[in-house]
Amino acid sequence: MIGLLGLGVAGTVVSWPRLSAWDIPGRGQQALTVAILGTAQDAASRQTFVQAFQRKHPDIPVRIVAIQGADWGDYFAKILTMVAAGTPPDVVTVATEGAQLFASRMAHPLDEYVKRDKDEIRDYFEDVAPALVGSFMYKGSLFQLPDNFNAANIYYNTAALERAGLERPADDWSVDDFFTVMRAMKSSATGTFVPYFWNNRLWGGVVPWLYINDTSILTETTAPGGDWLWNEFYPGEEWRGGGPLWEQADALNPAAVESFGVLQQLVAEGLAANPAQGGGNELVALFSTGAVGTTPAGGYWVEGLYQAGMANDAYDVQYFPKMASQRAQFGAAGYAIMETSRRKDEAWEWIKFAVSVEGMRIAHPVPDSNLTRRTLNAELYGAGIGPKHWEIFYDTLLKFPTTGPIPAPPQQAAVESALIKNVVGTITNGPSGVRRGLETMQRDLELALRER
Amino acid sequence: MTVPPVPSVSTVSLEETAQSTQPRPEGETPLRRRGNRLLVWTFLAPTLVGLGLFSIVPIIGSVVLAFFHWDIITPPEWAGWDNFAELASNPAIRISFLNTLLFVVLAVTVQLSVALGLAIMVQSRMPNWLRTFFRSALFLPLVLSAASVSLVMAYLFNQEFGLVNEFLAALGIAKVGWLTTGLGAKTVVLLVFVWQNFGFSFLLFLGGLSAIPREVYEASSIDGAKGLRQFRAITLPLVSPTLLVASVMAIISALQVFDQPYVLTRGGPGNETRTAVMVIYESAFRELEFGLASAVGIILTLLIMLVTGIQFWLSKRFVFYG
Repeated sequence: MIGLLGLGVAGTVVSWPRLSAWDIPGRGQQALTVAILGTAQDAASRQTFVQAFQRKHPDIPVRIVAIQGADWGDYFAKILTMVAAGTPPDVVTVATEGAQLFASRMAHPLDEYVKRDKDEIRDYFEDVAPALVGSFMYKGSLFQLPDNFNAANIYYNTAALERAGLERPADDWSVDDFFTVMRAMKSSATGTFVPYFWNNRLWGGVVPWLYINDTSILTETTAPGGDWLWNEFYPGEEWRGGGPLWEQADALNPAAVESFGVLQQLVAEGLAANPAQGGGNELVALFSTGAVGTTPAGGYWVEGLYQAGMANDAYDVQYFPKMASQRAQFGAAGYAIMETSRRKDEAWEWIKFAVSVEGMRIAHPVPDSNLTRRTLNAELYGAGIGPKHWEIFYDTLLKFPTTGPIPAPPQQAAVESALIKNVVGTITNGPSGVRRGLETMQRDLELALRER
Repeated sequence: MTVPPVPSVSTVSLEETAQSTQPRPEGETPLRRRGNRLLVWTFLAPTLVGLGLFSIVPIIGSVVLAFFHWDIITPPEWAGWDNFAELASNPAIRISFLNTLLFVVLAVTVQLSVALGLAIMVQSRMPNWLRTFFRSALFLPLVLSAASVSLVMAYLFNQEFGLVNEFLAALGIAKVGWLTTGLGAKTVVLLVFVWQNFGFSFLLFLGGLSAIPREVYEASSIDGAKGLRQFRAITLPLVSPTLLVASVMAIISALQVFDQPYVLTRGGPGNETRTAVMVIYESAFRELEFGLASAVGIILTLLIMLVTGIQFWLSKRFVFYG
């Protein structure tokens, strides 16, 4: 018996390196751990990027941890699980949806690094629209440098438009024009066809319709501070403050009621689908086969449509129509440094490389998301794959300078739930049901935003 | 004559049990006895450590957590009974529990009825190869991933492009908002859950039915009992022990429903298909309120224990053990 125990102990000692807890992914002491949203294949495809980074920084080993998730919410939940397990990554890809959650609790501000290396990264700011940078400021500090983004534009099927006997709508088309186009598409279609297909989600759901009416479901104010960034890198631009703040529920304001009324009418007339919940994965197939006339999407869709065999001239893109304005919504993404990281300097080097011309080119070889560097975005989308008017992807930011990020306070998950679960009820119970639905949404948003 | 008190099961220690059930060999020394005890505990240790680490400690941790506000990132803050008070005051949580209870009643009723009906059908006279085919085919949904099944079903029940509405349209029936209306979404979640889970109850019923002696049916046939009367007087009483087991399992499973509503509707529209386990997930991993999630989990556990207790209490009256 004692002999057996002794053998067991000896075996454990001999095999100790293989039994080490540091073998658990994310616990490596040596490597810079970078978490991305994606599959193991996505992690493997980043190897070119990692190799390029290590050519510049041979002393920084890197481990990519791919985290699968149905959406950003799922991804953030898994990052939080890693944090709870005591194995937080050093660097995390964070989209607008989670930017303020991370900034308020987990991310390390980049201010000191940006100020220190200002000359080295000046060309980045010169090439990037200020709205994108400002969306990652929180209470005066900068937490991320965005490397890709997507604003919501209207994708339309050119065959459906031609069948309806219509020309490409004007850049400043109104909501009435939009209704005219939808009605014409519907009346000229045969078989199963939906003029406007959309999904019930934060990005690209009801939010674009609120923003074009200069409103939202939350109040939007600007935090003080941020002068250090604007004065240094955007001296000629309008002051953008220390980042957006969404602190109060505002679903019952008259403009919001009006925007929801537009959607209610679209659904009631059968011009728009009753929105299903989800990420819209089925949309590429529906749009590319002509079953959908128009849909909100961003530059990320181009590669998907290309893969689905849709010709460049089979579709095109246009800005959202105008109500009180044509302000658009966008979501952006970039890397954030975790506050718990012991390799912050190395993490900063990673971020700098990710937003460099070389890094961005390697990270985005196909048009599956708009690049924040205007020149590179033109290079990517002007290469022959994509719609004729691909320039509007970036011009949305420039032509409508008040264009802003989707409303994503630190309590974004609760806010998103409060929004999504009330959309269908608000727009499917007739014109009188709109206000009733928004009252419930207002109550749920107040609950979501309350302070503990 | 006085009878010495018999210790209850719970008061008999493992050591005493080991001593009383094993005849003590002649010449056993205290040293040897200690060695035996060490051996017993050595064999039990892996199970006890596993049970302690992965069941007991997390359960205790969860109960403690229910009295704190904790977002994983910052240190927990004492909350007292706040999280339990929120269960009563938060309309979404209240609705989720009501949804869960309604779902349990409907899903378990439909699931057991379908499973028993199909089991009786498969047990009836038919070629063996056909019986084998039905057994496999009807059990198959259970081995599929609930998330994958739900994704496929979401496409089938899509209001605009789903096959179900295409089929209805061919019959001249207007499109139904399967996933975008309260009744439609509840119906789809129920159907998908039952379709995927009845296979287990079906298998239990097959076993129960095959244990009923054929002579009993033959005797009742001679007495003139047939069809429904035979089912009520013979099949149901004799299969009642299996029915108890199947209903306990089905109720526990239905009380924990998550995958189907999460993938199909995300709890919507509104809170129409939000369930208690969805609230646990959303509170913990989306809204970072781990204390609230623990409180919901505790209440759900108590609910499961209560329902199971009631079932066993009722079983004394309704279950026939022969």
